[in-house]
Amino acid sequence: MTAIDSAAPSVAAAGPAEAFHRVSFTGSGKEYFGIWIVNILLTIITLGIYSAWAKVRRNRYFYGNTMLLGRGFEYHARGWQILVGRVIVVGYFILYNVALTVFPIAGLVLGLLIVLALPWLVMRGIRFSARVTSYRNVRFNFVGGIGGAFLAFMVGPVITVLTLGILAPIASRWVGRYVGNNLRWGSKTFATDPPLAPIYGTWFVAALVVLLGIVILAVGAFLNSALIIATIDGSGTLPAEFQASMIAAVIFAYVAIFITFGLASLVYRAGVRNVVWSATTLEGGHQILSDLPRFGYAWVAISNIILTILTLGFYRPWAAVRLARYTYEHTAVRFNGPVGDVMAPAEKDGSAVGAEFVSFEGFDFGF
Amino acid sequence: MASEERVIAEGAWHAEGSSHAVKARLVDAGDRIACMAVATEGAPGRMGTGDGPAGEGVPPALASAPFSSLQIWERIGRLPRRIAFPDGSVFETADNDAIDALMTARGRRGVSFVHRLERFHPRLILLAAGTFLLGGAVYRYALPLLVEIAVLVTPPVVPQIMAKSTLETLDRTVFDASRLDAETQARLTEGFRELAAEGARGAEGYTLNFRTGGAIGPNAFALPDGTLVMTDELVALADGDEEMLFGVLAHEIGHVDLKHSLRQLYRAAGVAGLIMLIAGDVGSGIEDLLTQGAGLVALSYSREAESEADRYSVTLMRQAGKDPAALARFFVVLSRKLGDTGNTSILSTHPGSPERRKAIEDLAKGATGS
Repeated sequence: MTAIDSAAPSVAAAGPAEAFHRVSFTGSGKEYFGIWIVNILLTIITLGIYSAWAKVRRNRYFYGNTMLLGRGFEYHARGWQILVGRVIVVGYFILYNVALTVFPIAGLVLGLLIVLALPWLVMRGIRFSARVTSYRNVRFNFVGGIGGAFLAFMVGPVITVLTLGILAPIASRWVGRYVGNNLRWGSKTFATDPPLAPIYGTWFVAALVVLLGIVILAVGAFLNSALIIATIDGSGTLPAEFQASMIAAVIFAYVAIFITFGLASLVYRAGVRNVVWSATTLEGGHQILSDLPRFGYAWVAISNIILTILTLGFYRPWAAVRLARYTYEHTAVRFNGPVGDVMAPAEKDGSAVGAEFVSFEGFDFGF
Repeated sequence: MASEERVIAEGAWHAEGSSHAVKARLVDAGDRIACMAVATEGAPGRMGTGDGPAGEGVPPALASAPFSSLQIWERIGRLPRRIAFPDGSVFETADNDAIDALMTARGRRGVSFVHRLERFHPRLILLAAGTFLLGGAVYRYALPLLVEIAVLVTPPVVPQIMAKSTLETLDRTVFDASRLDAETQARLTEGFRELAAEGARGAEGYTLNFRTGGAIGPNAFALPDGTLVMTDELVALADGDEEMLFGVLAHEIGHVDLKHSLRQLYRAAGVAGLIMLIAGDVGSGIEDLLTQGAGLVALSYSREAESEADRYSVTLMRQAGKDPAALARFFVVLSRKLGDTGNTSILSTHPGSPERRKAIEDLAKGATGS
């Protein structure tokens, strides 16, 4: 299976206008298993140093197998770039924690510095991720500034928390606009203006999921009210069987909360992706589409976690491939006439510190 | 020279930063590796293959460079291979084997060691088992070892500064000056000194402070530099049984001597680090679960530390010539006055009071008997 349609001189030659071309994912769990297990093994043996190169191999595999019109994406980051970024981020966090216990004032200053630098770090993180990604030999780029990052990644989360999630769609829209309007593929610009109403539609579905979960928990608590009263009261000695069922109840509640919020956030994430990506165009009227079924996506993600636990982790390579395939096969591009040849102005990757900080903090941007 | 030309692989060529793909082949021209455009439909170049004459009909090379200056991407799975020329242009081919053969022939290792390991092969079962065992060993042996080393190399000034800032913060926020009369304080301090003399740091290594607990209530705790704090509420709870208070203080000295707080700090940091390292390889859902699981395991370490300090109390009290089972009475009081009758569960930081009382009594009795 050749991945190169070298006969096609340009993107446009590959298909007629007005037809959506699905992205496909050609990786296999069997193939990724080897890469995955060797990544972990070498990471352990090298006391973590190899994890930077492991990330490169993992990303190259996933980007390279994400195919549009017969060509895969390319990931260009080098192991040492990632390693330097990680060393700086981890070093800073160690310094911060030591300072916090030894000289609390210095620790607070270091913490404040991070908060102040957050928009810059996020901006540089997205830029690094974009610049080390290419399609058809043309690199992506990101030209967003600090102000947009401040709005999307600092003001957004704050208003989301302050309104108990009610304004989350506005924050999601800011993030969508910030990334979507500042992304470039070579010299071509992307543009997006996701409408708010459908994001609220998805938000409403997620909120219903949370509500349903709370109702189930409340019913569970009501059915076990005797147990709970006995525990809170605490004056009498609890018989052993009560102790055991108390633990069972706590575990049940824990799992229920995990699944409820997990499901809601997965549904929300898929819904927002659909709205934002489907509102995105590439210069020249080329339309991007995402039609990820929200509950289908959540099912794949949650069943992946359950299967991974049941297999003591060994299902993970298949899980990762399954989720990637499901996601990318629900992504498509419609070309509005010929794209023509695209040139990329040469840009330096920059440092990976921002990207590593961002993934250290739990969110990872990939294109 | 031209007769030596040999086709290495078919593929596509891109000028630097250009999306325009030119159908091309990589040619071995002896001292240089060149990338030649392949003539399109019906052109004679198609049938004539590579070793044709370098005559007029052959287009000029798209790129050409000595082998040593080529930058060849590592092989990963079945992904097409990229070969970058010094001018920034790139040749891409799906024929990984041909590129590997070229590299081997030129004395560079074609298939990297890592890729050879990664290939789907029965050997992977061994690698998987090895990774599993190694991961377990790191968690079970290497992590505790690293924690011990970290505790050993931590200069004593670190726990001192930690303790100082903790006590300052508590004094400013929760505590008030003790309202115990000077006589009681002196008596308790005197008894404490006898106890402290038996501790690992000697009598001067520990200081006892009295405070009004406020929101903290009846409590005693130790800071890692040997500073102990006992609240008035605890003294009141003892209702005159000062021997019992010494039992509690001996337990706290145990926490100091066994360096529990530093150990737990380093352990938590180590586990967080381990989870972070494999986070990308396990996905964010599993990462969350591991973090929660690590929290539960940390609780079990906390319970173990409490039991250890209980046993330490028994020994220390005996050495100081006091009642080794005094701490057990504290748990009786705790059960009676605060209703703490629960047994240990996986969600508690301390073992259940009845359980601890029994363990202490057994230990005190057993040791006296022998």
